[in-house]
Amino acid sequence: MEHVLKVSHVEKIYGKGANTYKALEDISFTIEPGEFVGVMGPSGAGKSTLLNVLATIDSPTSGDILIEADNIAKMKEEKLADFRRDHLGFIFQDYNLLDSLTVRENILLPLAIAKRPAKEIQEKVMTMAQTFGIENLLDKYPYQISGGQKQRTASCRALVSNPKLIFADEPTGALDSKSATDLLESLSSLNLEQEATIMMVTHDAYAASFCRRILFIKDGRLSKEMIRGNHTRKEFFQLILDELAYIGGDGHDLV
Amino acid sequence: MTLFDLAVKNIRRNMKNYGLYIGATVFSIIIYFTFATLKHSDDISVLAETSRQVKGIMSGSAFVLVIFVAIFILYSNTFFMKKRKQEVALYSLLGVRKRTIGFLLFFENMMIGLTSLLIGMVLGFFLSQLFLAILMKLMGLDMAFTFAFSGSAVIETVMVFFLIFLVTSLLGYRVIYQFKLIDLFHAAKKGEDQPKARLIAALIGVLTLVLAYWLALQDLMTSAAWRIFGLAMPLIIIGLTILGSYLLFNSVLVYVLNTLKKRAGWAWKGLNLMTASQLLYRIRANAKTLTIIATLSATTITAGGAVFGMYYNTDQNVEEYIPFSFMWKGPQYEIEADAVEATLDFEVKDIRVSDNDMDREYYVIDQSTFTKLAETLNWNDIESLSDKANEVLLIDPFYDERWSEPIDEIVIEGTAFPISKTYAKSIFNAETLPGAVLVIEDETYQGLTGETASYHAVQMDDYKKHAALSEQLAKTDSLENFSSAVANYQDLLRSSGAQLFVGSFLGLVFLLATGSIIFFKMMTEAEEDKDKYGILRKIGVSKKEMKRTVRYQMGMIFMAPLLLGLLHGTVALIAFSNLLQMNLWVPILWWMLAYALVYTIYYFITVRGFYRTINQEGI
Repeated sequence: MEHVLKVSHVEKIYGKGANTYKALEDISFTIEPGEFVGVMGPSGAGKSTLLNVLATIDSPTSGDILIEADNIAKMKEEKLADFRRDHLGFIFQDYNLLDSLTVRENILLPLAIAKRPAKEIQEKVMTMAQTFGIENLLDKYPYQISGGQKQRTASCRALVSNPKLIFADEPTGALDSKSATDLLESLSSLNLEQEATIMMVTHDAYAASFCRRILFIKDGRLSKEMIRGNHTRKEFFQLILDELAYIGGDGHDLV
Repeated sequence: MTLFDLAVKNIRRNMKNYGLYIGATVFSIIIYFTFATLKHSDDISVLAETSRQVKGIMSGSAFVLVIFVAIFILYSNTFFMKKRKQEVALYSLLGVRKRTIGFLLFFENMMIGLTSLLIGMVLGFFLSQLFLAILMKLMGLDMAFTFAFSGSAVIETVMVFFLIFLVTSLLGYRVIYQFKLIDLFHAAKKGEDQPKARLIAALIGVLTLVLAYWLALQDLMTSAAWRIFGLAMPLIIIGLTILGSYLLFNSVLVYVLNTLKKRAGWAWKGLNLMTASQLLYRIRANAKTLTIIATLSATTITAGGAVFGMYYNTDQNVEEYIPFSFMWKGPQYEIEADAVEATLDFEVKDIRVSDNDMDREYYVIDQSTFTKLAETLNWNDIESLSDKANEVLLIDPFYDERWSEPIDEIVIEGTAFPISKTYAKSIFNAETLPGAVLVIEDETYQGLTGETASYHAVQMDDYKKHAALSEQLAKTDSLENFSSAVANYQDLLRSSGAQLFVGSFLGLVFLLATGSIIFFKMMTEAEEDKDKYGILRKIGVSKKEMKRTVRYQMGMIFMAPLLLGLLHGTVALIAFSNLLQMNLWVPILWWMLAYALVYTIYYFITVRGFYRTINQEGI
């Protein structure tokens, strides 16, 4: 199998009759195993719609979305839930942790839902927590820890079931720059060392500069693709800023 | 735009948010108004005149209902205000003065209250008419159905609820002064502490309940506990039960859930973890409510079970003391009917016996009369005195091993007759021949001196069918001391039927009330938990699993107080039937079944509502 994700001619139309609005128009791309892909674009360009459609949280109006061999655009709701559980991981801007569960319990939830043996769960949670440096917080509750720690918990939860594909929606949106850098570095090293496949939506050039490849989206269409290649992160950051200035005409729109 | 306009518009636009709150208030008013109408209705007043118990029960219940309704509305209001804090904060941020916001909230609350009062009373009026119709039917009164509107019920309801709404409105007014702007914005986001249970509190909880049950099952006559505490016993038992229930919810269940949650093998499977931790919060936070519900259920089950038991046992009670269909003293009277099973004519001697310093009166019959009577009544332990001329049989309907003094022998006219057997049941209708009866061997009986009279007993195939005959006989002057099973039956049915109605109605009100408390509580919690379930959906929890955790959670919240209430009720009813020496099992089981059934319906409605609410925001 070549690709993890293959999107072909996806369209999403909101509304009915004459009063329709095309949020996504003829979008096609692929993501290969071990890639760290960023999706950038101005507000209202369709970033979140794209992510929701890919993440099976929303369904496309037309087009196909293949995750390995499964076409999720044609799946039924019950099967989708299983599919999300088994193959996808999510990181959200507002963490989405359950505040009645401890950090440990939040992380192990996907494994528990998949009914894995307790011993395996224990080990996996520990490994994942060490990767993100939150092994000391496992018995704390979400309201007792900081935003950055919460987001790392959420990332652990997304990654613990070893998903084929991880979707991150503005994961650094609510974090201070130090926490954001920590998180991005963790994600980046996971990507490099364990070949986790990550797709991250962001409007922040700094966050995007951690990716290996960036897709730009504008008015519901893919407008450009950038590849980091052999550039350092700093150089890539500069390139992204230049590109943003070019497509937006004015960088301030985007940030 | 005036403040009043703003308040009106606010309600109109936020109808959905207000729905639950208005629903809760309207519901409370319906229940209270229905109750008040019944209380003040003429039919019930007639009843109340005949039975002071009924009157006492009604006013006692009204009081309980007021407290109950007040707590319920206050609770709904608190939740409602919590949800609106952000809106309030926004006004404040926009520069509206605190005073103005306070007045706005006050007006709004009063308006909701008055509107609900109107709706509730109209609906309550129709409901009460339905109940009145049922009451008349139960008591066998054929009255033309008329709408009974009670002015005093309206006044009472308006007064009670106006006061409640005034209090909640004032609380609303105060909200804005109590909090800082920053608190108001974060009102919904407060971190919750994980409930912890101390083992010791859990143990005390279990022990308290065991002690309460043990005390309740002590025999009134013989136990030391009753001697020591005397009349305070019932209060002690109730107090211990309530305390025990509270500790059970607050500590025992929390302890059990915590232990379960720590067991990885169980907890880390599917949504068990989620179910347990949600329940932990819910049970701890709702411990008081659950206690109230368990206590109310227990009260309802006990009262209802007892009343229903009496009603159910009406014929047994009649047959116990009026074993013959008809009985009278004096001349024979030919009853011309096919239904006559047996007609017995016999002679009874009335004698006085000195026993220590007391004179006792006995009715004496001879052996052959006894055998005839007892055979007609299908006794299966008929003793024969044919070869025991110097012994007697004693038949005492009021004999009770526990507190009657056993009598071994009776001295008649200087001769001592040992008692060879004592029967603790009636052989005569108590209204015709009340008191103890002696059976003596035929020849010895002939020799006794005493006032002799002739009596007649008639046994019909089914005494309940012969009310007309009974009336006819009762009017015949020549029949002295006439007694009739069917007349007794009808009298008893009428009074216990009325008690049954009052009991069932109160039971129904409390049942509706408890069910609705849980329903509204869960619906408001569903609103709070919406986000949690949204997260679960996003990480791939299937609908089936989501439904299951909701079912478990609701099931536990419903089951815990119900089971505890049933247990309390069972213990209370065992104590009750021991005291009255009645076998109440069948009616009590029916009553409990009915209670559990209605409760189950509430459960399903709540699960449905909860599930709908958490799924409202499509993904």
